[in-house]
Amino acid sequence: MIDYLWLVFRVLVFPGFTFLLFLTMFCDWIERKIEARMQNRMGPSFTGPSGILQPLADFIKLLTKEEITPNDSRKYIFRFAPLFAFSVLVFALCFLPIDGTSVIPDASFGGDLIFVMALISVANFLLFLSGWSSSNPYSSIGAARVLTQFLGYDIPLFLLALAPAFLAGSLTIATIVDSQWIPFVVLAPWAFVLFIITMQAELEKDPFDIPHAESEVVAGHETEYSGGKLAFLKFARDVQIVFGSSLITVLFLGGANGPVFFGLQALWGTLWFVLKVVVIIIISEYMTVLFARLRIDQIVKANWKFMLPLSVLSLLLTIGLAVWVYPMV
Amino acid sequence: MGLPYGVISMAKKNFLSPIFSEVLNHLFKKPATGKYPFVKCTPAEGFRGRQVFDIGLCVSCGLCSRDCPAKAIEMVDVNGKKRPMFLLDRCIFCYQCAESCPRNAIKSTEIFELATTNKSDLVLKPQPLDQKAGVSNVA
Amino acid sequence: MANNDINILKVLEAKNFQIQPGKLGTVAIQAGGGKHRDALKALLEVDEKTAVTAITGIDLGDNIGVYYHVRTSNAFATIQCEVPKDKPTLATITDLVPGAAFHELEVTDLLGVVFVGHPSPGRFVLPDTWPEGVYPLRKDFKPSEIKFNPPSTEDVSLSDDRGLVKIVIGPHHPALLEPEKFAVLVDGETVKNVEPRIGYVHRGVEKAAESKTYLQGVYLVERICGICNSCHATAFVEAVEKILKTEVPPRAKYIRTIILELNRLHSHLLTLGHAGLEIGYETLFQYFWRDREPIMDLTEMVTGNRVISSSLTVGGVRRDIKETDIPKIKATLAALRKKIPFYKQMYENEPSLKMRMQKVGTLSREDALKLCVVGPVARGSGVDIDVRKDEPYEAYGEIPFKEIVYTAGDTWARMNVRMDEVEESINIIEYALDHLPGGAYRVKVPRVVPPGEAVNRVEAPRGELFYYVKSNGTAFPERVKVRTPTFANIPAFLKTAIGENIADVPPNFVSLDPCFSCTDR
Repeated sequence: MIDYLWLVFRVLVFPGFTFLLFLTMFCDWIERKIEARMQNRMGPSFTGPSGILQPLADFIKLLTKEEITPNDSRKYIFRFAPLFAFSVLVFALCFLPIDGTSVIPDASFGGDLIFVMALISVANFLLFLSGWSSSNPYSSIGAARVLTQFLGYDIPLFLLALAPAFLAGSLTIATIVDSQWIPFVVLAPWAFVLFIITMQAELEKDPFDIPHAESEVVAGHETEYSGGKLAFLKFARDVQIVFGSSLITVLFLGGANGPVFFGLQALWGTLWFVLKVVVIIIISEYMTVLFARLRIDQIVKANWKFMLPLSVLSLLLTIGLAVWVYPMV
Repeated sequence: MGLPYGVISMAKKNFLSPIFSEVLNHLFKKPATGKYPFVKCTPAEGFRGRQVFDIGLCVSCGLCSRDCPAKAIEMVDVNGKKRPMFLLDRCIFCYQCAESCPRNAIKSTEIFELATTNKSDLVLKPQPLDQKAGVSNVA
Repeated sequence: MANNDINILKVLEAKNFQIQPGKLGTVAIQAGGGKHRDALKALLEVDEKTAVTAITGIDLGDNIGVYYHVRTSNAFATIQCEVPKDKPTLATITDLVPGAAFHELEVTDLLGVVFVGHPSPGRFVLPDTWPEGVYPLRKDFKPSEIKFNPPSTEDVSLSDDRGLVKIVIGPHHPALLEPEKFAVLVDGETVKNVEPRIGYVHRGVEKAAESKTYLQGVYLVERICGICNSCHATAFVEAVEKILKTEVPPRAKYIRTIILELNRLHSHLLTLGHAGLEIGYETLFQYFWRDREPIMDLTEMVTGNRVISSSLTVGGVRRDIKETDIPKIKATLAALRKKIPFYKQMYENEPSLKMRMQKVGTLSREDALKLCVVGPVARGSGVDIDVRKDEPYEAYGEIPFKEIVYTAGDTWARMNVRMDEVEESINIIEYALDHLPGGAYRVKVPRVVPPGEAVNRVEAPRGELFYYVKSNGTAFPERVKVRTPTFANIPAFLKTAIGENIADVPPNFVSLDPCFSCTDR
C-alpha cells in the first residue's frame, strides 16, 4: 500500500508532474530574464518577486481565452496534437534521473536512451502534425520547416548522444549517469559543444528558430491555435527546452551527481540537477541572443555539410578514446 | 573644438564580432528600460502637454479656434462671453492656439498621461474666474 | 559623380520644345498633343540618371493637367500636358520609364486620366468597392454622394492554377508595421511573383490639404508620416515660401537643418533595428532602439515633442534652440558616436547577419536607374543621388558632408548606407550647432498666398520627397501633390523579390525602409 502511495506521490508530485511543471515555468522565467538582461532590458518584473510568476500568469491567461478551431482543419489531430506533444515530453522526462533515480523507480531498462531519443522525434512529429492539420498556408510552411529541420538534425543528435554511451559502455541512462565520476564534458568536450549546438536546432531556438520565424510565417505551426490549445502547445515547447537541457545534463554533466553535505541525498541531487539544467539553459540562451535567424536552406546545408561529418568524427574520436586511451589512464 | 566633421569611421575586419562580449557585459549592467507606471519619467522643459487656459487674460477673439488645424477648440458661452473649450480627444498638441493667442492665455503643461476610459474627461470647459484664486484653470 | 556639363535647357532648345526656364524646377516644358513622350525621350537620351519623380494630376477646370516631374543629374524639369476632361487619355510612358507605372495608376485612380498602353491597369490607391467614374481629386467631386459598390463575395483563392501557394503578407502581418497587402506566390520556399495592393491607409491628405489654410496645412502634412514628419513639413513650407518669395533668416535654416537631421537619425536607427528584427536578430533590434531613445529625447527637448515635431512654420521655425541646450545635444550625440563602431563591427564581422543580408534583394545599378528608386536604396546600388547635394536646401549648401554610396546593391549595402548616414548626420548637427548664426528665427508672412505654383524636393530619411503646391490667391491651396519616397521604392522590392527565398522577403522589404502611411497618404 505504502509502496503504491509512494509511487503515486513520485509520479504526480515530486519529482514527477507537479515538480516538472514548476521546473518548466522556472526555467522559462530564467530564460526570459537572462535574455532580457543580455539585451539590456528588464524582462518580466511585475508578477511576483522579479516577475517569477509571469510564466504561470501567461499560462493561466491563455487557458481562459476563447478557443477557436478552424472549419477546414483536421479537428481531432488539431485538438490533440498539442496535448500529446506535451504529455509525450513529460513522459520522456520521467525517464531521466532527476533526484538520482528516474521518476518511476526501477523503470530504467537497458537501452532506454534510445527510447528517450525516439520520444523527442515523436514530440517533434506531433508539433509538425499540429501545423499540418490547421490548413493555413503559414502553418503548412511552418510545419514543413519543423519536419525539414528535425529530420536533418535528428541524425547528428543521435550520433552525438552515442558518445557518452560509449564512454560509459552502456545505453542505459542510469548507468551513464553513474559512471560519470568525472563528468563526460571533461572527457569529450567536443561532443558536448556539438551536442549543445544540435540541441539548439532540435529545440528550434535561435539561430535555428525558422519554424516560427514571425516575420515570415507569422507563428509557424502555432498560427491557428488559440486559448488552452495554444497554452499547451507553448508549454510543450517549454517542456521540450527543459527536456533538452536535462538530457545534456544527464549525458555530459553527470546528472544529479554532486557533493552531498548533509541530509537527504535526493534533495541535494535535485538541487544539483536543477542547477546544471539552469546552467545549460543560460548557455543556450546566450547562443540565442548572439545570432540572427538563419534561412532554411542555410540550416539544411549547415547540417549536411558540417554537423553530420563533425558528429561522425566526434563519435569516432570518442570511441577511440573510450576504447584505447581512457582505460589506460 | 576639433570635432571630426565629415569623417566616417571604418570598421575593422575581425574574426569575432563584438557581440560576444557586449552581451555578457550587459548581464551585469543596469537595464536601459524603466518600470514606467511605477517610476514616472519627466518630459523635457518646453514639452507640449495638456493645455492650461487662463480665462483672466482671454479677450474672446476666437483666433485659437479659427487657427486650430484639428478643430479641437470650440467657442462656448461663459457668463455671456465666448471662451475656448478644448476637446483633447481631437487635439494634436501642435500649440498653434497658443501661438495665435494675442494675450498668451493658453500655456502648456508637462501633463501627458491623458488616457482615460471616460471621453468627457477629455473636454476642458472654461471655468468662470474664481475670485479668490485669481486665476482659474480648467479641470 | 553628377555630370554638370549637361545643360538640358540647350538640349531642349535645340529640339524646338516650348520651354519656360525657371518655372517648376529648372525648366517647364509645354508638351501638348502627345509631345510629352518626345520631351521625355530627349531628356533620357542626354542623361542616364533621368528619372520620373512624380506625375501630378490637377483639375484645371475644363482640362486636366498632367505634369511629369523629371529629375536629371543636375536639373529638375516639368513636362506639362493638358487633356480635355470629357476624354482624358494620354499615351503611357511606362515603356520608356518602367518606374512610372505606379504614378500613372495613381493619376488614373484619383483624376480619371486613362494612360493608353499601361501594362497593368486597375485599382491602385482607392478601395475595390469605389464606384466607377468618380474621381476624388476633381473639383466637382462631392464626398457625400459616393455610393460604394458591395464588396466582392468571391472566394479568395490561396493557390493559383499552376499549383503555386499564395501567401498573403498583409494587410496585417508581423513583418509589416502598417497595413498593406503583398500576395506572394511561392513554389515551395521560392517566390515566383509578388502582387502589391496599396491604399489601406489612404486618408486623402492631398484632398484634405485643399481645405486647410497654409498655416494649418503644415500640421496636416506632418501627419502623413510620423517618422519623417519634419521632412514633410519642410517640403511643404519651402514650396509655400517659394510662391511667397520669402527669404528665411539664416538661423531658422540652421535650426531646420538640425531638426531634419535629428529626424534622419531616429529614422535610420529605427530601420537598422527593424532590420535586425526581421532577420530574427532581436538583440541588435533592442540595442538600436535603446540608442534611438536619447535621440527622441533630444527631439523632445528641441521641438517640444518626441515624434511629431510641429516645429516648422512658413517663414521659419516656431521655437529657438536655447544656448543652454547645445551642450546637452552635443553630449548625447557624442555618446551615440561612441556606440557606432560597435554596430559597424557587427555589420562587418557578424557571420549570421551577413548570411541573411548579403546578396539578398540585389538591385543592379541599371535597374535602380530604370525603376527611378530614391534615397538609400539608390545609393546602395551605386546611384549617387541625394537632394541635399544635388539641390541644396536650408543650410545644406554651407555644411560640408559626404554623399554615401555603396555599390553592392543588396540589403547589406542599403543598411550600411544608413549606418554611415547616421554618423554623417551627427557630423552635420555638430557642425550646424557650432556655426549657428544669430538673429531672428522666423519672419512674419501673410496668411494669403498670391497665385503661383512651386515644386520642392527634400531628402527625407527614405529618399527624395517631392511636393507640388499650387495656390490660387486665397488662404487655401488649390492643389498639394505629395510623392513620398516609399512610393518610388516599392517597384524595387517587386523586382528583387522574385526568385528569392520566402525567408528573404522580410529583410529585403525592410531594407527599403517602407512607410505605408507615406505611400498611401
